[in-house]
Amino acid sequence: MSIPRPQPPRSARSLAALVAVALLLAGCAALEPPAAVTSQGQDTRTLYDFVFIIGVGIFVLVEALIIFAVLRYRRKPGDTELPPQIHGNSVLEVIWTVIPTLLVIVLFVFSWQTLNKVNAVSPAPALTVRAVAAQFQWSFEYLAADGQTVQYEQLAPELDLPVGVDVHVILRSKDVIHAFYVPKFLFKRDVVPGRENNFDFTIDAADANQTFRGQCAEFCGTFHSTMLFSVKALTPTDFNTWLQQQIKAAAATPAPAPSASGGAAETTVELSAHNIAFDQTAVQAPAGQPFVIKFTNNDPGVTHNVAITDSSGQQVFKGEIFAGPDSREYPIPALAAGTYTFACSVHPQMTGTLTVK
Amino acid sequence: MATTSLRTSTGYRSGLYDWLTTTDHKKIGILYLANSILMFLVGGVFALIVRLELAQPGLQFLTDAQYNQAFTIHASLMLFLFVIPVLAGFGNYIVPLMIGAPDMAFPRINAFSFWLLPLAAIVMLSGFATGGGAAAAGWTEYSPLAQAKYEGIGTDLWIVALLLIGTSSILGAINFIVTIFKMRAPGMTLLRMPVMVWTVLVTSILVLMATPVLTSALIMLFIDRNLGGHFFDPATGGNAILWQNTFWFYSHPAVYIMILPAMGIISEVLPVFSRKPLFGYKAFIFATAAIGALGFSVWAHHMFTTGAVYLPFFSFMTFLIAIPTGVKFFNWIATMFRGQLTFSTPLLYAVGFLTMFLIGGINGAFSAAVPVDFALHDTYWVVAHIHYVLFGGSVFAVFAGLFYWWPKMFGRRLNETLGKIQFVFMFIGFNLTFFPMHMLGLSGMPRRIADYDPNAGWNDLNLLATIGGFTIALSILPFLWNVFITFRSGEPAGDDPWEGNTLEWATSSPPPPYNFDHLPEIRSERPVFDARHGATHG
Repeated sequence: MSIPRPQPPRSARSLAALVAVALLLAGCAALEPPAAVTSQGQDTRTLYDFVFIIGVGIFVLVEALIIFAVLRYRRKPGDTELPPQIHGNSVLEVIWTVIPTLLVIVLFVFSWQTLNKVNAVSPAPALTVRAVAAQFQWSFEYLAADGQTVQYEQLAPELDLPVGVDVHVILRSKDVIHAFYVPKFLFKRDVVPGRENNFDFTIDAADANQTFRGQCAEFCGTFHSTMLFSVKALTPTDFNTWLQQQIKAAAATPAPAPSASGGAAETTVELSAHNIAFDQTAVQAPAGQPFVIKFTNNDPGVTHNVAITDSSGQQVFKGEIFAGPDSREYPIPALAAGTYTFACSVHPQMTGTLTVK
Repeated sequence: MATTSLRTSTGYRSGLYDWLTTTDHKKIGILYLANSILMFLVGGVFALIVRLELAQPGLQFLTDAQYNQAFTIHASLMLFLFVIPVLAGFGNYIVPLMIGAPDMAFPRINAFSFWLLPLAAIVMLSGFATGGGAAAAGWTEYSPLAQAKYEGIGTDLWIVALLLIGTSSILGAINFIVTIFKMRAPGMTLLRMPVMVWTVLVTSILVLMATPVLTSALIMLFIDRNLGGHFFDPATGGNAILWQNTFWFYSHPAVYIMILPAMGIISEVLPVFSRKPLFGYKAFIFATAAIGALGFSVWAHHMFTTGAVYLPFFSFMTFLIAIPTGVKFFNWIATMFRGQLTFSTPLLYAVGFLTMFLIGGINGAFSAAVPVDFALHDTYWVVAHIHYVLFGGSVFAVFAGLFYWWPKMFGRRLNETLGKIQFVFMFIGFNLTFFPMHMLGLSGMPRRIADYDPNAGWNDLNLLATIGGFTIALSILPFLWNVFITFRSGEPAGDDPWEGNTLEWATSSPPPPYNFDHLPEIRSERPVFDARHGATHG
């Protein structure tokens, strides 16, 4: 029992301890969530940190006990006698039942309090947006103060929002279950057909003019991974200007249909989309004269369009967004020679190169 | 000549016939184990396919549709045709031996329960031969996505396969319950049963109460898909959340079905290799029963983000599970304290279980805190969590059990060196694969996506996870080689190679039909230990 055992040198042991501590610290640093950009997200982050500290404490304690037992109580060649046959200890059982119970109650109470803050919904939000999810795209309806009338429908998956004010989001699904998830909000909520989920959040004023990635987080079918969106945080003034512009632009008469008679010599570029991808990633068009892109959307129920941006990132054309299977002839204005990018406004990952020469 | 050929026809053909028609619980147990490990390998290949596709952004090897089939079938095989049946296999082999019974209560039903499983596997995998491919809506098959307008016949085959597996489980559970209550040897009181038997008993009660709910839900889904039903599709007046409630009412207890017998294996291995009794035997049994009971009140913690469940209740019940689990941990560690540990392969895997399942417990507590779950739900954090529980927990326990009971099953010991090499590779590969998934989840990578944005910052961690996945695959090779050489020329084990505690070590290796010529006196939960050393007061 008390035979002195050979010990590893002190320096080796302290080195091992140092490595263990370094690994633990590296692990802790790596397990940090992204900085939350909403006040609700910051509450969640505080709770996360609290759970994390308790979790790391339990982890260190229990792993240390296991490692200690493994190192200390190895069977040695001289161990022929049985070790003491201890069947249990009621005091210990009570201790390691009661302490975790207290810990669990503290964790529960803290997380309930945080839940009440995160789930709170304002009776008078500054802005109400309805996020509409469908296989495989997002669109966003900006509602008027009555919470009913749609002022503007944003078909591209970009959610522009004012910072510093309470935003109310209503979720609606057109088909299967999706989930509205913005990692930097530390939040998601399912978009369930037949059910109107809603929640509030306030983006920090300090995060104006930033863009946050969002993504569908509930598996929704074949092209689930393509259901991306972005949240663009604007100052309230910029936001109002933007929204008014969009409302005005949407109310304006749509661009005249391409004259079928006029330019008989116009070049037509054929392009189609299927399975959330363009059939070509490089197309060509003549420089200095208008041309037509005949775009066929072969994805049933899925919306696409073609938008063209020049090399500086400036959008020079944005075609009508429509659901397949259908096709449109987009009249493209004369473009200077050069290389352009074409993309689908609804699925920004669908891109290709347009060479004008 | 004629007479001798009759006598010697106990060759290959009749050996095979014997295995195909056997009602011996030991042979059925081995069939369960062999079939489950085969499914583990097939499911592992699907996991490698998934990891290969995710190693870098872009779709290199699969289409989106194929990817979705790969992860759906990976999960379905691993959960329903590997983890649950492999533990049922251990139960089948070991429970009658441990309680001193000659066989299970209903040997023919036992054989029937087993043979449903390969049939189910064939039905599920036959989806790949259909035009639309195999089931692809995830192993959770959430409606409306699982409805006929979105998913093809592969989903019907998946439903039928799960109905077969469910029937197998229910019959097996009844068999275990009757065996344990009616067939114990004289002296084997309930509170002298090995903890492994207790965990199988509690698991069987869970199966009996939960599986019929899943079976009903599956039939309702089948009616929705094929007979114009309207249970789960809101477009026709159904309720999408109803599916989730019924599905998780089974599938959360199923997590305990997948871990309790694994805990039982660990509770057999640790005392034997520490040369001490299990610390707190009764506390352990109460904790097992408590986990089983609480298991029925936490299903909606899979549904926190649906907005359709009462959050504080399910949050509180979920936190409560930590208490009996913690009790088990401290009892396991106390079992090792002041013991004499022999690091044979079974103990190595048991200690691996303790260190890794602990992480699976702690990272689960994050999801019990509802607002944190809002951030982590359906991300790779959850994938990390389930694998720390089911791989770091159940799979490590399965290998502990295989190395521990192999000498009893086949009379030969698996090679220790190969076993240790396997453990080292598996332990490292496991952590390389699943630890980075915590970081991926925190930074927002959803699960079940075939592709990801190369600028999202997920490339390196995904590559690391893929390298880890192939390291796990590598660790399986020494195991297969070990099995092969052990059958050819393994070291004979003797009846009791580990100085065991429980009755299976009181008979020959392998045991004869009907198990025992005579039984030692049963005066504690360690009758074989008592016979060897004399009783210590309990």
